[in-house]
Amino acid sequence: MSELTWLFIAFLAVWAGLGIYLFSLSARQKRLERRLSDIEPRS
Amino acid sequence: MRAPESPIVPRERALTRLGILAWSSIAVSLFLIFFVAREADATMGGELQRIFYFHVPAAWAAYLAFGVVFLGSVAYLRTGARRWDLLAHSAAEVGVLFTSLVLITGPIWAKPVWGTYWQWDARLTSALVMWLTYVGYLLLRGLSTDPSRTGRLAAVVGLIGFVNVPIVHFSVQWWRTLHPSGPTVANLEQSSGLGPPELIAFFASLIAFTLLFAWLMAARVRLGRLSDRVDQLELAL
Repeated sequence: MSELTWLFIAFLAVWAGLGIYLFSLSARQKRLERRLSDIEPRS
Repeated sequence: MRAPESPIVPRERALTRLGILAWSSIAVSLFLIFFVAREADATMGGELQRIFYFHVPAAWAAYLAFGVVFLGSVAYLRTGARRWDLLAHSAAEVGVLFTSLVLITGPIWAKPVWGTYWQWDARLTSALVMWLTYVGYLLLRGLSTDPSRTGRLAAVVGLIGFVNVPIVHFSVQWWRTLHPSGPTVANLEQSSGLGPPELIAFFASLIAFTLLFAWLMAARVRLGRLSDRVDQLELAL
């Protein structure tokens, strides 16, 4: 593989890693907000 | 009347501004890395050496994160205040993310340059141990249902685990390793082998990753606060 291919794979890995983490933060945030909107009217 | 917010809880607007600042600086650093920094010597991987502009700042962000875990753990053990435990927990998660990026980008650079993805040398091994320590820290938090006990145990791991951070950093000076040694601040250009355009790109990337770290930390702390609020309300039902 050429240097540029390796470079592309490395940058893809960095952005994929950050993207997955951001997606996970967002999913957890939405799940908690939904749960909160369920609980708050009852408390 | 609303209770005053803790100083470590970010306000929404500040979080948005920090995010814009972080991603803008990432965009600037990408421009500098690809259009200003020159191609490195073939022995350092030529074009592939541009990985360095992300690999090293990611390692820096991981050190920062584990430093915050250490300080948060000390503060939690002293005060027992939940906010310090949350700060340490959030920093450990963000630190594991950045260390994972370091452990992925390093071998991608190493394969074409060294001819192998991995060498059990001091830097690589100690970095892997650091990653495993904080993955263990995060797993530990999921084991117990008693938050206070889990917090104390995790804080002890956060304290002990930090011992390895300076070992990772100085391993290239203390032992003979295959890993390139880092530049010294006293004579930056000569020790790093980088010219002014490369140093500008490097420091821009370092600042961008520091801002990204701060933004991710703020977002993770906010998530933790929300989780605590849900837990409190569920207990009250």
